[in-house]
Amino acid sequence: MTSIDSNELVLNMGPQHPSTHGVLRIVLKLDGERVKSTECVIGYLHRGVEKIAENRTYVQFAPYVDRMDYLAAVSNGLGYCLAVEKLMAAVAPPRAQAVRVILTELNRIASHLLWLGTHALDIGAITPLFYTLREREEVLKIFENYCGARLTTHAFRIGGLQYELYEGFEQQVNTFCDQFPGKIDEYEELLSGNRIWRERLRGVGVIDAATCKRYGVTGPMLRAAGVPWDLRKAQPYSGYEQYEFDVPTRTGGDTLDRYFVRLDEMRQSVRIVRQAVAKIPTGPIMAKIAKVIKPPVGEAYVSIEAPKGELGYFIVSDGTTHPYRLRVRPPSFVNLQALPHMAKGALVADVVAIIGTIDIVLGEVDR
Amino acid sequence: MAEEPKPAKAPVVMATVAWDGAIPELLREHLGGSVLDTLLYLDQPFAVLTLAAMLPALDLLHAEADFDYLVDITAVDYPKREPRFELIYIVYSHSRNERVRLKAQLPVDQNPLSAVPIFLGANWLEREVFDMFGIEFAGHPDLRRILMPEEWSGFPLRKDYGITQMDNRWVRNNLGIESGQ
Amino acid sequence: MKQFLRRFFLIDLLEGLWVTFRNQDPKRIVTEQYPSQRPEVSERYRGAPRLNVHPETQETLCISCNLCAVACPENLIVVGSVRNPETKRKDLVTFTYDLSRCMFCGLCEDACPVDALELTQDFEIASYTREGLIWDRQALEEGPRPTQYRQ
Ligand code: SF4
Ligand code: SF4
Repeated sequence: MTSIDSNELVLNMGPQHPSTHGVLRIVLKLDGERVKSTECVIGYLHRGVEKIAENRTYVQFAPYVDRMDYLAAVSNGLGYCLAVEKLMAAVAPPRAQAVRVILTELNRIASHLLWLGTHALDIGAITPLFYTLREREEVLKIFENYCGARLTTHAFRIGGLQYELYEGFEQQVNTFCDQFPGKIDEYEELLSGNRIWRERLRGVGVIDAATCKRYGVTGPMLRAAGVPWDLRKAQPYSGYEQYEFDVPTRTGGDTLDRYFVRLDEMRQSVRIVRQAVAKIPTGPIMAKIAKVIKPPVGEAYVSIEAPKGELGYFIVSDGTTHPYRLRVRPPSFVNLQALPHMAKGALVADVVAIIGTIDIVLGEVDR
Repeated sequence: MAEEPKPAKAPVVMATVAWDGAIPELLREHLGGSVLDTLLYLDQPFAVLTLAAMLPALDLLHAEADFDYLVDITAVDYPKREPRFELIYIVYSHSRNERVRLKAQLPVDQNPLSAVPIFLGANWLEREVFDMFGIEFAGHPDLRRILMPEEWSGFPLRKDYGITQMDNRWVRNNLGIESGQ
Repeated sequence: MKQFLRRFFLIDLLEGLWVTFRNQDPKRIVTEQYPSQRPEVSERYRGAPRLNVHPETQETLCISCNLCAVACPENLIVVGSVRNPETKRKDLVTFTYDLSRCMFCGLCEDACPVDALELTQDFEIASYTREGLIWDRQALEEGPRPTQYRQ
């Protein structure tokens, strides 16, 4: 054992700490109030999703992906379905693609809303949580009406959709789209102009674009550092190229900027949903694929822009009904890696803000 | 799970086509014979390299072709093949908007070099590969298990590890129950 | 001066109270008084499973094809049947469904060729024991019986 530095305090934060958003344990080495180093201990929620995949058929595995990032189950499902479709060289029909886009964007809104509420709660603003959950409820109702579940939706199937749209879907979505931008303004009124909020977040957890790339950080964190990179634009999938939207960026790369980026993303999502709902094509919702899904021998990596960043699936098929190997590239896991960099030299209270701003879901970090 | 009768046999190898262009040329020019193949499958390019050429290739792509983002590191276990593992790196270039996979075969008793000096993000990804497959990366700054408990024995994603198998000793000692099943 | 008057008459406070007051309107109340008032779940809600019977004859619709059990990722459905020598068909004898492991994904429901197995809108399926979550054929046909509390 090396000699103990009497000025250093080792503090265990988590795994049962409300602001770690799940079961994340962080070992903080402190010098007074300053963080000298951080170490993340993860794996408390490890369920071996990749191992499960090898023992399920392609169809059977679909519900499990919902349980990784359970706040964005629809996005996970989309990524998985696209990956298997890629392997089988199948494409979902246009109608299915449009519905997929609508639901995925609504899911992005729901995920960001929960993030906003809990992040504000971590920092001490309790009220926004009630508002954001209220709006999120509207989205979850749409999910429930569409596919019968609110959180672990299992909304899409390989090759298209299982469920036809229900009556009144367009109207419900449009009503939401009409009301929601006003609600974002409300949050802005509560938070953006709030001096405490700004002072609390400005300059906290700064990470610049070059460091982001070195760590492989993606999603809103990268965009808040000034890189306008979004897979929906860079490598469009599921018909995203048809829709007009901007990729919001900021340049500061701090916690406040990430907040602004996510707010703007919600506005852009509403824009996409509006365009998509206005012209849902008619036609089949399921591609013509074999009943027993058996992709030919091969491998493919397909990734989508999930609310948290790049979510990728790498599947190796050996020509049977079960994936030979299925690897998930989880955005939260990779983004969390940047925590020690961002927290270095920060105050303990800021660590809470920094964890919140990465927007991790431990179900996805640990899989 | 029992399935319906087997239809006609699918092709047993990947139906790949050759991948030509600037990047394969760059790789070949610098690494010569270590580049075993450059192929496309489903429009996704990948290069098959010797294990020794993996790190130089990553370095080359990073420095010369602006592949600045390491997407993922993973491995696949083929217990019947020799060498047993296949190591896969996925890199992406923001400026080119291109994604490339690099693959290398890896025998059980060899340690690949760590990519952390080139991409910081490789740290946890390599730890996960170590955790799941038992592949040790030489030169990694902090190679410990990441998702499984540190004292766990066995590497869960190897094919000879059963789906319900677990480290009973660990379960007994730490959870105070006979078995997790 | 204007600022002062605003402060003096507590305008901001009144504004805030007005927001609170406005939200008292019964139309704006979103809280549900469970359990005296049950939430309305959507038609497609995937809740407690049910094994449908023919509405008139009370005979089960299930043809014991075992497709649901094959489709289930968690392998939690066990269909027990015997071959009826007269009709040359399989007759359903037992049907167990282990709710404690079910994730309500709906794959079994999709697989059923005769719509015998259905995930219904019942959501009150909690139980005090693990065994209570393993439903047999009778429980599946009758549906859950949640405790009724007096109003
Ligand atoms: S809902 Fe899903 S997990 Fe439950 S029994 Fe049906 S197939 Fe199995
Ligand atoms: S799939 Fe339907 S008919 Fe077949 S065994 Fe299951 S419940 Fe019965």
